[in-house]
Amino acid sequence: MSAITTLNPKAESARQAQALAINISAARGLAEMLKTNLGPKGTMKMLVSGAGDIKITKDGNTLLHEMQVQHPTASLIARAATAQDDITGDGTTSIVLLIGELLKQADLYISEGLHPRIVAEGFELAKKEALQILDTLKISIKQDRETLIQIARTSLRTKLTMENADILTDIVVDAILAINEAGKPTDLNMVEIMEMQHRTEADSRLVRGIVLDHGGRHPSMPKALKNAYILTCNISLEYEKPEVNAGFFYKNTEERDRLVLSERKFIDDRVQKIVELKRKVCSGDDKDKTFVIINQKGIDPLSLDVLAKEGILALRRAKRRNMERLTLACGGEAMNSVENLTKECLGFAEDVYEHVLGEEKFTFVEGCKNPKSVTVLLKGSTKYILNQLKDALRDGLRSVTNAIEDGCVIPGGGAFEIVAHQALTQYKQQVKGRARLGVQAFAEALLIIPKAIAQNAGHDQQETIVKLQHEYVTSKIPVGIDITTGEAMEPKSLGIYDNYRVKKQLIHSSTSIATNLILVDEILRAGLSSLRPGGQ
Amino acid sequence: MIFVYLTYRNIRQTIVLAEQQTDRQMIYLDSSVNCKYIFTSDFIFTKQTIEMALRVPKAPGFASMMKEGSKYTHGLEEAVYRNIGACKELCETTTSSFGPNGLNKMVINHIEKLFVTNDAASILREIDVVHPAAKILMLASDMQEKEIGDGTNYVILFGSKLLENAESLLRMGLSPSEITDGFNLALKKTLELLPTFEIKVNLTKENLRDNEPIVSKVLQTAIGSKLFGYHEFLGDLVTKACLTVTGSDSTSSFNVDNIRICKILGGGLFQSTMVPGMVLKREVESEITKVNQARIAVFSCPIDIQVTETKGTVLLKSADELLAFAKDEETSIETQIKALADAGINVIVSGGKVGEMALHFLNKYKIMAVRLQSKFDLRRVAKTIDAVVLPKLRAPTHGEIGACDSIFVDEIGDTHVIVFKHAKSRIATLILRGSTDQILDDCERAVDDAVNNFKALTRDTILLPGGGATEIELASKLSEYARTCPGIEQYAIQRYAETFEYIPKILAENSGVKSTEILAKLYVGHHDNPNLGFLIGQAKSETTQSNDITYETGDVKLSELYDLYITKKWAVLFATKAACTVLSVDEIICAKPAGGPKQKENKGWDNDD
Repeated sequence: MSAITTLNPKAESARQAQALAINISAARGLAEMLKTNLGPKGTMKMLVSGAGDIKITKDGNTLLHEMQVQHPTASLIARAATAQDDITGDGTTSIVLLIGELLKQADLYISEGLHPRIVAEGFELAKKEALQILDTLKISIKQDRETLIQIARTSLRTKLTMENADILTDIVVDAILAINEAGKPTDLNMVEIMEMQHRTEADSRLVRGIVLDHGGRHPSMPKALKNAYILTCNISLEYEKPEVNAGFFYKNTEERDRLVLSERKFIDDRVQKIVELKRKVCSGDDKDKTFVIINQKGIDPLSLDVLAKEGILALRRAKRRNMERLTLACGGEAMNSVENLTKECLGFAEDVYEHVLGEEKFTFVEGCKNPKSVTVLLKGSTKYILNQLKDALRDGLRSVTNAIEDGCVIPGGGAFEIVAHQALTQYKQQVKGRARLGVQAFAEALLIIPKAIAQNAGHDQQETIVKLQHEYVTSKIPVGIDITTGEAMEPKSLGIYDNYRVKKQLIHSSTSIATNLILVDEILRAGLSSLRPGGQ
Repeated sequence: MIFVYLTYRNIRQTIVLAEQQTDRQMIYLDSSVNCKYIFTSDFIFTKQTIEMALRVPKAPGFASMMKEGSKYTHGLEEAVYRNIGACKELCETTTSSFGPNGLNKMVINHIEKLFVTNDAASILREIDVVHPAAKILMLASDMQEKEIGDGTNYVILFGSKLLENAESLLRMGLSPSEITDGFNLALKKTLELLPTFEIKVNLTKENLRDNEPIVSKVLQTAIGSKLFGYHEFLGDLVTKACLTVTGSDSTSSFNVDNIRICKILGGGLFQSTMVPGMVLKREVESEITKVNQARIAVFSCPIDIQVTETKGTVLLKSADELLAFAKDEETSIETQIKALADAGINVIVSGGKVGEMALHFLNKYKIMAVRLQSKFDLRRVAKTIDAVVLPKLRAPTHGEIGACDSIFVDEIGDTHVIVFKHAKSRIATLILRGSTDQILDDCERAVDDAVNNFKALTRDTILLPGGGATEIELASKLSEYARTCPGIEQYAIQRYAETFEYIPKILAENSGVKSTEILAKLYVGHHDNPNLGFLIGQAKSETTQSNDITYETGDVKLSELYDLYITKKWAVLFATKAACTVLSVDEIICAKPAGGPKQKENKGWDNDD
């Protein structure tokens, strides 16, 4: 019994060897569980939520989130994976695997009596060395489409089936190229993701413009327009009750009718201003141009009626985030009042049309000139496919942006791990004292990544690793695994690249988490205030 | 106070001892020294809490990491086979409903509504599938319903039979990814092959109107699989309705919503009729109940005195003013109604209330008033008569006035209906008659399927031989293809081909015919005639002079039994994708089912007493 129970007899605790055993077994259990997900040939896992919704995924972070992990150690690791996802958007499965393997390797030495602190020192040294090795492997890239496609493909193929990944690859790269401006950080919020449960994944595409998930609310408004001016605004076009408690007094119907009219006048005037602008810009040479209003506030039926008569398509209650995107996509600016409406405030799109899908309406604003905001339209026959695509798309976008921001990539397919293992084994000789064992453990642990990739592809892990190491030692070129054959291949020639920052973050956080975990010598849990039988 | 020395190891034992001696007295544990004392204090420490206090060290393994109540299954035995098992079960439910002779199911859903149907989509929707793998299959069938609106049972059947075949391959030792690779190859080949089986009847999207008999035959196949026996009558009726609605110019704008169904209890199915225009189960507000050559104004607002949004108060000082005000109101509404009458309006349709005073004047000016409760009905009526819905009470301009051949109140059975009959209408209504609600509902579903088939026709007019002929042809062509594949995926392709056999097989089985015999006949016949299928026909018997139902194999082209290419294409596609998804999952993690009220157990609902 530990001292804590003296202070609080309801507390739970585990000490020293026992605490370490708990940590290690949790980390390894989690790693074992996620191991089958790694790499292009990793399997899918089906998650069924409390409400019975199905999710099919192989994204480590999604899995850890949805699994509702309760174990303290496991949830610590899950948080590390979340951090990895927040910072880089990729490598979440790898981080769990690496932590698990680091602990497994450390356990070998600790069980022989080595103090955890010394292992931790070794890890620290190895981490520094590994980061230097990582820097030597950098391949600087140009921002050409070909390279970016290769990067996107590497990332996406680990998340989706081959066919689906290839569909998204082009979309991802084109989306990034559209919104990317030299010298400015890429804002991924400018890529809107719109899901449509319709047809198959192969129908997903990139829309150079915006897709809104609602339509015109008046039956006689046009459903499709060509060459449309777009007015983005945040102007209320409906009657709003005054804040003070007002009332009308009238004696006869004439007075009442006058009041009815005056009440509307305020709104009618605003609508009239917009109609005037429409008439002005859609006349003369621009006779065949059309007009669209996208309003963040409401438009009441009477106003809609007036607009419909003018042949204007009006969308009301647009989402706020779309207002910013709209002006970026079609130009113009978002207006907050009807004063000073000029042609310059308007955006332009070649095609505006409504698409009805069962009960839902979508409005496409397409064919914008040089859009700085685009929409990825994801299609899929079921919700779980759409979710899967969405998660993968986000990761794909992140990986391309990372590569652009880093200006460099790392050879993929386990190449870095093979190189680092080799280099660390050599570095070990320079390390004095028992910390050397920590370096050794670290080097061995790195190999879990290529091992898992090989195993998932149906190859013998040891055989593959030996082959790869041999190939690297003889050729001195970083080599990765060819998943179809299980032989060594050169990632650079096949265009398999990993993100630099993903690996960097991976090494950093997995080492620190693993170090933290092995240095734990006591787990305490505060007592519960109520003691219900069954330990709830 | 009792002192008991104990060590960590035999703590349980000692506690029992303590309990015996102290009879659940207050016990306090001190661990500051190696030996521990137990003595009474202000804490209750029973056996249970000791166990709980030791909960931190748990058995290693993954399961302990998750929240209580979650389930975790993985591997071939635990996950894949069980998933396949669940899909098989699902399929068994719907198999017997497949085809013209499929049996009906009686389904009582969670709100105790009774369904009698053989429509797979409805059955599955109502039984609320929860098993994740079965749900994937169900979602695929759902998607088929959304994409085409027919062939939902086909998806379930084909998908689960695929899985059944995959199971035997798995037991042979193939890996799931090899099977899915094979299935995908076979799917690709199937989609290539399907259009080549086309029966050419010179049907194009443009000439649907000129080919009424062929269109009718296509729709009859759809209805025949739900309501065999009524298929010819209903097929003709639906065809007529669909062709009324499709403009002669563009076929692309066909909207399923334009075929309305009005179910009226009583009579028999053969008394069902088609009306170009709308039929509404309502009565008119006004005294006038029949208008020919109507000129109609449609309003979305109430027909009453205009009111302000802000609260209004009438400020009256004397009795005279009150009288004047009442009179004022009367004249005001009369001028408005008169303006309508002057514009030549003799019918008004309103989405809101018709005020009593307004009604008085409407009757005075001989205007018929119809009130509709639903905004959508209002729009449909406006579409039927080609009018513009006005948001405010005012005289419509010429372009805003709708026209209709005749509007009248009719009595069908004991139901009063308002009929908007307009020959040039873009909306048609089928008045379905039947003796029970269930029959009417089932009939509605059959008509829905047929209408959806028509919609599919407007998208793609390729017709395939029905009655399982396409499937047998596919089966033989695909097995030939399998033999040319060098890799291990050929086994999967072979099984994929065999799966197609189930379609004619089940058709035959459900008709009570020996399926193996039929299959053998079909395979032999397909050497010469690729259009040979399983036919369920009606023949006049020489001896009894009555219609006998016959089951035999025959040329489906001659008996004009067509399936739509587009329906088959999507059905096969969705089914294969779903099957592959189920196969590719090797781990399932179920969270603890969310709370909420427990479902009431339906005790003894089948008992007699």
